[in-house]
Amino acid sequence: MAEQKTVTFIIERQDGPKEKRYTQEFDVPYRPSLNVVAALMEIQKNPVTRDGKRVAPVVWECNCLEKVCGACMMVINGKAQQACCALIDNLKQPIHLAPARTFPVIRDLLIDRSVMFESLKRIQGWVNVDGTWDVKDAPRQNPYTAQTAYEISHCMTCGCCLEACPNVGPQSDFMGPAPIVQAYLFNLHPLGEYDKPKRLETLMQKGGITSCGNSQNCVQVCPKNIKLTTYLAQLNRDVNKQALKNIFNH
Amino acid sequence: MAKSKIVVVGGGLSGLMATLKICEAGGEVDLFSYCPVKRSHSLCAQGGINACMDTKGEHDSIYEHFDDTVYGGDFLADQTAVKGMCEAAPKLIRMFDRMGVPFTRTAEGVLDLRNFGGQKNKRTVFAGSTTGQQLLYALDEQVRKWEVKGGVTKYEFWEFIKVIKNKEGVCRGIVAQNMNSMEIKAFRADTVILATGGPGQVFGRCTASTICNGSAVSAVYQQGAHIANPEFIQIHPTAIPGSDKNRLMSEACRGEGGRIWVYKDGKPWYFLEEMFPAYGNLVPRDVASRAIYDVCVNQHLGINGENRVYLDLSHIPAEYLERKLGGILEMYSEFMGADPRKVPMEIYPSVHYSMGGIWVDRKHNTNVPGLMASGECDYQYHGANRLGANSLLSAAYSGTISGPEAMHWAKEGEKGSALTDAELEAARQECVNDFENILTMHGEENAHRLHHELGDLMNQYVTIERVNKDLDYCFEEVKKILARWNNIGVTDHSHWANQEAMFVRQLRNMILYALAITKAARMRDESRGAHFKREFPTRDDEHFLKTTIVDYDPKTEEPQITYIDFDHSLIKPRPRNYAVAKKE
Amino acid sequence: MFNVTFYLRRLHSLCGLLAVGGFLLEHIFTNAKVLGGPALFNKAVDELAAIPPEIMLPLEIVAVAAPFLFHGVYGIYIALQARNNPENYCYVKNWQFSLQRWTAWYLLLFLIWHVFYLRILVKGGGTHISYQLLLSYFSNPVFWVLYLLGMCAAIFHFCNGISTFCMTWGIAKGPRIQMVINAGCIALCAVLCLVTLAFMASYLL
Repeated sequence: MAEQKTVTFIIERQDGPKEKRYTQEFDVPYRPSLNVVAALMEIQKNPVTRDGKRVAPVVWECNCLEKVCGACMMVINGKAQQACCALIDNLKQPIHLAPARTFPVIRDLLIDRSVMFESLKRIQGWVNVDGTWDVKDAPRQNPYTAQTAYEISHCMTCGCCLEACPNVGPQSDFMGPAPIVQAYLFNLHPLGEYDKPKRLETLMQKGGITSCGNSQNCVQVCPKNIKLTTYLAQLNRDVNKQALKNIFNH
Repeated sequence: MAKSKIVVVGGGLSGLMATLKICEAGGEVDLFSYCPVKRSHSLCAQGGINACMDTKGEHDSIYEHFDDTVYGGDFLADQTAVKGMCEAAPKLIRMFDRMGVPFTRTAEGVLDLRNFGGQKNKRTVFAGSTTGQQLLYALDEQVRKWEVKGGVTKYEFWEFIKVIKNKEGVCRGIVAQNMNSMEIKAFRADTVILATGGPGQVFGRCTASTICNGSAVSAVYQQGAHIANPEFIQIHPTAIPGSDKNRLMSEACRGEGGRIWVYKDGKPWYFLEEMFPAYGNLVPRDVASRAIYDVCVNQHLGINGENRVYLDLSHIPAEYLERKLGGILEMYSEFMGADPRKVPMEIYPSVHYSMGGIWVDRKHNTNVPGLMASGECDYQYHGANRLGANSLLSAAYSGTISGPEAMHWAKEGEKGSALTDAELEAARQECVNDFENILTMHGEENAHRLHHELGDLMNQYVTIERVNKDLDYCFEEVKKILARWNNIGVTDHSHWANQEAMFVRQLRNMILYALAITKAARMRDESRGAHFKREFPTRDDEHFLKTTIVDYDPKTEEPQITYIDFDHSLIKPRPRNYAVAKKE
Repeated sequence: MFNVTFYLRRLHSLCGLLAVGGFLLEHIFTNAKVLGGPALFNKAVDELAAIPPEIMLPLEIVAVAAPFLFHGVYGIYIALQARNNPENYCYVKNWQFSLQRWTAWYLLLFLIWHVFYLRILVKGGGTHISYQLLLSYFSNPVFWVLYLLGMCAAIFHFCNGISTFCMTWGIAKGPRIQMVINAGCIALCAVLCLVTLAFMASYLL
């Protein structure tokens, strides 16, 4: 019998937020179209390292495995990406897995991204509807604008852009590309537009859009191909206009 | 007066909708979820949401929608409930539109509609190919607004363990566990709504997310809630099989001319075209699934002996495919690393949706007072088979019913005595003890491998074609798995983010749910909707125009099956035959 | 509410482009005259020196020293907020981002040395700046190299700054225009560096 082909994983682990990090190596049987999540599941079924030690299975987060939920973002071979669609065939081996350390690590590859959801609160990421009841007709919308909104609304808060952005991290208060561009999404909506000045004000505050350093990594790593830098530039234009209004209208 | 406190478990479309309704009625919500609610499984719905908008000059009517849904469900759905849902649908769409869902629009800026299976008129509102994601995000945003306003407290990364009942047997709280700190805590509530989604993971690999394990449903089933119609599991004929999950391949592929075939005697055999010359590759979902199953399992003709067949688009010009199916084909290359424009895709039917679930009345109350269920985890609306694009509708609609009803119960229900601190602590301590026991399990079995075996069994015997003798065998085998559960060994004994231990607890719930599905399938000796038995190939309204009720017997841990009548007074049951309807 | 962060950051951007950038261009222009012979260079320096100090000094303080100080000090704060990562995300723009910060650190040290020595010690001490003085100064190859590097760093920092300016002020929105502007800035950077190399080389010949 031919020898079973295997894939080697070098996984950066950490037992808790304050524990020391260490690495462990695992071999996973190869099969076509194997992805990183499927490989981690194999490790769960047989949590034995390369040197034969039985260890606790690797902890990570995943849900949909279809690249829509955003849960399984991790750093694979140095780059932030979704693990569910990271095919082994497209990765250099051995494969290095690490948590996205822009965020606090909970355990192993599991990270705490609650800061992103807090940012969505800050930018008032919602259309301020009166309620869930029926109020006759919703406004018509320009189908082209709606298309732009559709693109931005794909953002799954995975955090790839924050992990890749050199300006986001414990050293800075920058809220990062994803939540900022979400502000643009709500500014585009005919009802959401009413709160546009409020959102722009937030973007002018500390940690807002001014902290963008134009490294443009965000647009390169976005798994949903959202044109983040384009919308950041548009928002820059909008906040500048808002600043002028603030100066001359008050 | 203190505000009513409602616990909502699950942050998908239904849970969030209920949350909003409760907040608007002045209640306070504790919202529990396995994950940030923005990552709930409602995301994965692609096609759209049905509502009679009638903006395409087709004279579509709410009655047509109602009739299509009941007919599609093979007359097993409560008709009054379905009627209510169809009537509310257009209002829900307008609400979503105001909330900013980027629906696909016509050139003049109104909502576009598309065709969907089992419906003659254009009735499906959609946002590209990610309708579920967009709807979920809209509700997530509104709930976030309420979070800021102070009506909602989110408990994300908390796992529901069980409900707490008072002396009178009324549900007055829950026990949940923080998935990071492992802290187990009891929470008081005036009403508890479960909106925990489907049980896909009982089948191992399916189109559902890894979080859709039915564990919460099984937990309340073990605490006395009825499960209804669990045997009705929808199978989608074209999914991409994967070791981690089966990914849905849209029906649109067949619609655009995709051909299904396998090698037979060294030559391609287009078996759907041969078996059904009139409709060829465009036969309905259940028929296609059964044919593929037959070719692979009974005739052993699957690709390389595995359970797979080809779905071939490579004969269609690449430019045409790009225009019609672009995004979908990209998904295939992304996950499979092969280009479907050049090589045939490999697909197989997969478990997709559970029509059954916790039994509820029309207001979404379960038989346990104070406990409600809403969304895929309840059994309402779809009968024996769900129409495409009705799942998002039922999820959102059920939330608009369960939310206000939860408030109504909280204010006026016969809730009995409030939970004492001692009762809360006792319930908590019980869960702590169970969890500590799991942490000290030192047996031979690996929980994930055991889950894999469970999935294999359920997939083999309780999906497309069901045979009584096999179901008996399967039931016994699942019971063996239940016994082997006691012999699990955990490698992770820590009290911090211990996913393995939590999975062990979920697995036991899944096994018990699997028994309920298998037994219910065994007892229903007819073929109806998604439930097909060659031994009983026709629908038997005389004996089985009834809702299956499954109760848990704590002594034997086995399910007990009874049948109850339901409301089918509005539309008289007639034979379900899509071949005739399509000829019109 | 007055958004201090926003206005400081925009001021930083404006200072960098107009005051600091303008002064850099003036420097390159004046120094490049050495290519036309020492006499031309000396004449240009003399003309500048002929401006009466009552005008020159305030001008130097308001239009040069203050913007420089602000741009430098606030720039340190900005640079400290970045965690450069071009080794993992090796895209052109990200390299430019890192280079912007690395050149900034170099320029900070270089300018302290350059201003302290040439402007304050030498010129402030009353010594007249001339071709001959610089010739002897640059006869030290270490100084020559450090100065060349300083000039190139400043030019890169300035040119890349223009590109970022267009983004920050919302002038260049789409990916194509951003690419065109960035290419233009890189080209400008190359031209100015070549000019600098040419006039610096003249001190070696």
